[in-house]
Amino acid sequence: MFDYISFFQNLSNGVLIGAVYALIGVGLTLVFGVMRTINFAHGDFVVVGMYFAVLLNSLLGLDPYLTLIFAIPLGFLVGACIQKYLLTRVIDAQHESMLLATLGISLVIANLLLLGFGGEPQSVNVSYSTSTLSLGEVRISVVLLFAGLATVTVITALYLLLNKTEIGRAIRATAENRLGAELVGVNTKRIQAIVFGLGMSLAVTAGVALIPLLFASPVTTGAVFTLKAFVVTVLGGLGNIGAAILGGLVLGVVEVLGASYLDSAYRDAYGLVVFLLVLLLKPEGLFGKTVKRV
Amino acid sequence: MNKNYTILIGLAILAALFPVVSSSYITIGLTVLMFAGWASSWNILGGWAGQLSLGHATFVGLGAYFVAIGSTQFGIAPWWAILMGMAVAGILAFFWGKLTFGLRGPYFTLSTIAIAEIIRLIAINEGWLTGCASGVFIDYLPEPFGLDLFDKTVQYYMMLIYAVITIGITIFISTRKFGYQLKAVRDNEEAAMAAGINPTAIKLKAFVLSAMLTALGGGVYGIFLSFIEPHIIFNLLLSVQIALTVIIGGRGTVWGPAVGAALLIIFGEIFRTVFEQANMLVYGILILVVILALPKGIVGEYAQRLIRRKYANRA
Repeated sequence: MFDYISFFQNLSNGVLIGAVYALIGVGLTLVFGVMRTINFAHGDFVVVGMYFAVLLNSLLGLDPYLTLIFAIPLGFLVGACIQKYLLTRVIDAQHESMLLATLGISLVIANLLLLGFGGEPQSVNVSYSTSTLSLGEVRISVVLLFAGLATVTVITALYLLLNKTEIGRAIRATAENRLGAELVGVNTKRIQAIVFGLGMSLAVTAGVALIPLLFASPVTTGAVFTLKAFVVTVLGGLGNIGAAILGGLVLGVVEVLGASYLDSAYRDAYGLVVFLLVLLLKPEGLFGKTVKRV
Repeated sequence: MNKNYTILIGLAILAALFPVVSSSYITIGLTVLMFAGWASSWNILGGWAGQLSLGHATFVGLGAYFVAIGSTQFGIAPWWAILMGMAVAGILAFFWGKLTFGLRGPYFTLSTIAIAEIIRLIAINEGWLTGCASGVFIDYLPEPFGLDLFDKTVQYYMMLIYAVITIGITIFISTRKFGYQLKAVRDNEEAAMAAGINPTAIKLKAFVLSAMLTALGGGVYGIFLSFIEPHIIFNLLLSVQIALTVIIGGRGTVWGPAVGAALLIIFGEIFRTVFEQANMLVYGILILVVILALPKGIVGEYAQRLIRRKYANRA
């Protein structure tokens, strides 16, 4: 007989992990929407968040979720500076320059972390890391629940920022038509810096939310998250924030279900297969509208 | 005869004398030649055809694995194994290209990463296919003409031949119709189509050739390593390293890949004691410098300056 309890157990784990993936994907897709380029350093930004939490935890004994108070604004500042002082020089240059520049940033971040922290995988131990809440027969990990809650909060805040504020309106205008936005007086350079900062602080938040669950190692973890972010955004359709959230949930569920019903060694492959299928069959994304772009 | 051939022969003679002059740096020399070869192979697809692939480690892995499994399990001589590896790499590239050449720009790059990662996961998890999930150890190799293939000097000369072959093919392409077709497709696919070129067919040819040459180098690399681990040889970072070597040196140029390889490997060696495992930091910093200051790559910018000077004198 089909085991419903373990199915719902897996489903709930998948949704919660997927929420964090969504958080990572939203940052990438936001940057793509405004810059029309893929940020290869996005996964490394996630890892920066993880190490930030590790550092503050070992120095000050702070709970990882408390470090978000510092991590979010710092992430924003660093991201905005990277855009303002580095990427803005290449944004109008050749087609692939931005992609390669972000690849360079990714290598620099990963290797600086390696120099600073060494190659040993690190994590933060919290007292509640193994506690669970029971929902009927289904058990939900407290850490995953916190990660999910952090995601919902941050995404709500982002939604309000984008839809209810003047800056949000300028961001949406820049994403839709950069030249048009400039014509009506939007400082698009400033918007790009803000968006890159937002993207980085979203990635950092995801990293902090994940650190009680996962081990961070400087080089490999970044690449894994960059790939997951690509998968999430392409699943949803690049540049579409609502769809990236759904994409994240789909990836989380596909991974967890694939790992428990097929073969857990291929956990990372299921997402990639779905990603390729979507890329080849429906490049506008699972939830995207079919729009032809020139 | 193209003057590039003369330069190639001159450089090859110099490189052939290197082990005689200095035997202590032979592994560094070998690594430079290996990356020059891989980068030249990558350049056919990534530079000439303009398709930024970040999945070429797959072909390195294929070449290396055919040598390793051929010699440990089937007793096949490495040269036959390399030929088989190249054939399989070519077939794989053909279907890979068929599948993904509809995608453009960053989407194509993402698809190469995805396919390469799936192949890496298969190589790690399917021990029956790759000999052993933790790696294959080559303990015996035949001795053609009495040459010990485990000897570093012999391996150095094999890598030299490999680098000369790939650069030679690049020069050959650069003077032929195929080279111009590749450039046309890279610069503007629609215009190339209007001129009667089938872009997908051209890109496929470039991909198959690029993959086979990469696998050739992978085979020699397998002999050099003699212990092959799937998670190292199929690694995304190796693909990135190969691609960045070309982009730093100069995409779509004959000498860019070799210049990039020499620069990066030698820089890497100089800073090895400082950075230890964080060696890729050199790649990261150099790619940023090149993207910001020399967008055509070192050789590309130099060539452009030469052209400017030439025409300035004429005017």
